[in-house]
Amino acid sequence: MESHERIQAACNFLLQSPPGEINDVLNDVRNIISDDELLQEGIVPALKKYNLAQFITVDIPETNHQSIISEAAQLSADSQEGEGQERWLDPRSKRSFVFDHMALEASDLQRFEPNESFEPFRAALEKASLKYLLAHFHDGVSSVFSNQTTPNRFILQIVANKYNPTNFWAGRWRSEYVVNLNDHSVQGTILVNVHYYEQGNVQLSTTHSISIALPPGIVTASPESAGTKILALIQTEEGKYQTSLNDTYHEMAEKTFKSLRRALPMTRSKLDWEKVLGYKLGAELSSSKGAFATGSS
Amino acid sequence: MADLVDSMLDLMRRLPPTRIEENVASLIGICPDYADDLLGSVDQPLQLKTDRATGREYLACDYNRDGESYRSPWSNEYDPPLEDGTVPTPKLRKLEISANEAFDTYREMYYEGGVSSVYLWDLDDGGFAGVVLLKKTMTPSAPNEPSGSWDSIHVFETAERGRQAHYKLTSTVMLQLTMKKNDAEDDDRRAEGREGWKCDGEVTLGGSMTRQDWPIHDSSSHITNTGKMIEEMEIKMRNLLQEVYFGKTRDIIYDLRSIDDLEKTRRQRELQKELVGFIKR
Repeated sequence: MESHERIQAACNFLLQSPPGEINDVLNDVRNIISDDELLQEGIVPALKKYNLAQFITVDIPETNHQSIISEAAQLSADSQEGEGQERWLDPRSKRSFVFDHMALEASDLQRFEPNESFEPFRAALEKASLKYLLAHFHDGVSSVFSNQTTPNRFILQIVANKYNPTNFWAGRWRSEYVVNLNDHSVQGTILVNVHYYEQGNVQLSTTHSISIALPPGIVTASPESAGTKILALIQTEEGKYQTSLNDTYHEMAEKTFKSLRRALPMTRSKLDWEKVLGYKLGAELSSSKGAFATGSS
Repeated sequence: MADLVDSMLDLMRRLPPTRIEENVASLIGICPDYADDLLGSVDQPLQLKTDRATGREYLACDYNRDGESYRSPWSNEYDPPLEDGTVPTPKLRKLEISANEAFDTYREMYYEGGVSSVYLWDLDDGGFAGVVLLKKTMTPSAPNEPSGSWDSIHVFETAERGRQAHYKLTSTVMLQLTMKKNDAEDDDRRAEGREGWKCDGEVTLGGSMTRQDWPIHDSSSHITNTGKMIEEMEIKMRNLLQEVYFGKTRDIIYDLRSIDDLEKTRRQRELQKELVGFIKR
């Protein structure tokens, strides 16, 4: 295999990493490719792609909160001073920073001046989302971005991770809502991934998209009240989704699982193997015993 | 370099089970020298083939493969045909035929459909080994109906010591469940009069679990022994899969997000603490 194909394959593996296991996958890939130099250069784009898609969180220095690395957090080239490194935004602390996609660390913090006209609404959504996080997520992180050019368009992202390698499982909940006050809509996506790998490899992967029409009352309300109401809608939808997953589980267990393989035959007892053989084979019994006898050492 | 294979197996334990075939092919591309190690130790979904002679379906895996050809348990023929393909000795083939018939009954009793295949091969020490394969697939009759598949791979070895037969059994079950949903069917939402609201999505729950056992049986026929031990193992594994698929993965979702208000619970706990403190005083 050509070296660019090997890198391609390595990147492909990295992008499939389950929650919290990218380092384990990277270690395996390093051993398999056994060319660190080649890897080091080649995999950075894949790591970046993975971090953005998976809503990887980063500690923001000098604060006690984390921020989400995602497409929405990336500052466009023209809002960045000078050439060179890509910068990322933590809208909560109004700081931009350089992000190391391998070490997952932020550095070179600078003040960021957001577009003031969108800031009150963004801040209100942020406040409401933080309250929502505390109420419904164990270890959740959220970021709310305002579009710096299109007015009245906001992106709210939530991620919650739980890694438990000692007990061989990991899980990730991601949700994203595009709040558009121009057409009074909220477009949402919820993604859940679970990996259970004790003597096996079982993965749950769910996708769910919602589109909510905002009542006019919300759009014209004060930012504070609109933010609370939008988060109340999101809370209802996410709660409903989580409950509907229970129904899906129930349906899969009752319909699919049961009809793939029965717990016991219709007779409600295990097979009588002597009889199974007797029915069909008759003479076979002696010949299989024969095979048994000659096989002895 | 044994740990290269370990790394490959560790990787396969982490990557999505739905993409196992693609990923195994990719690993073989990177390390062609390890193709046999990998194909021999990573279980992949069983392929369905049709016996040209009898028209009957059978299952293909690494154990009935010779080069690019697969042997049918019904006609004992390779497809594409092989002049000198490996086949069991006549004695073992006789046992293989019986085992296929017995497990075909077992399949009908537990799976009420699907396909089964049993392959046996001679071991150098005079004993023999075999694999019992079972597969059932459910295709949805409507877009919102659930679909799924079950693949069982039971590999066993036999050794005879005195009047007893010792077995080593390694069983893997691959289970895949998928459900698609969209709001066209969602009457609740329509009842609430939310015309501008839409939702749709998909849930996939898939993977494999492996267990081992070392049962000992008195010498009755090998088919009775393997039948009993595989039946026991499948019952055990079905319970395990039920627990992990529908219990464990669901619990993990609740470890991420809570339907109930956690703040309320926290406040209640605080209040309780205060109350206890108050009573103690």
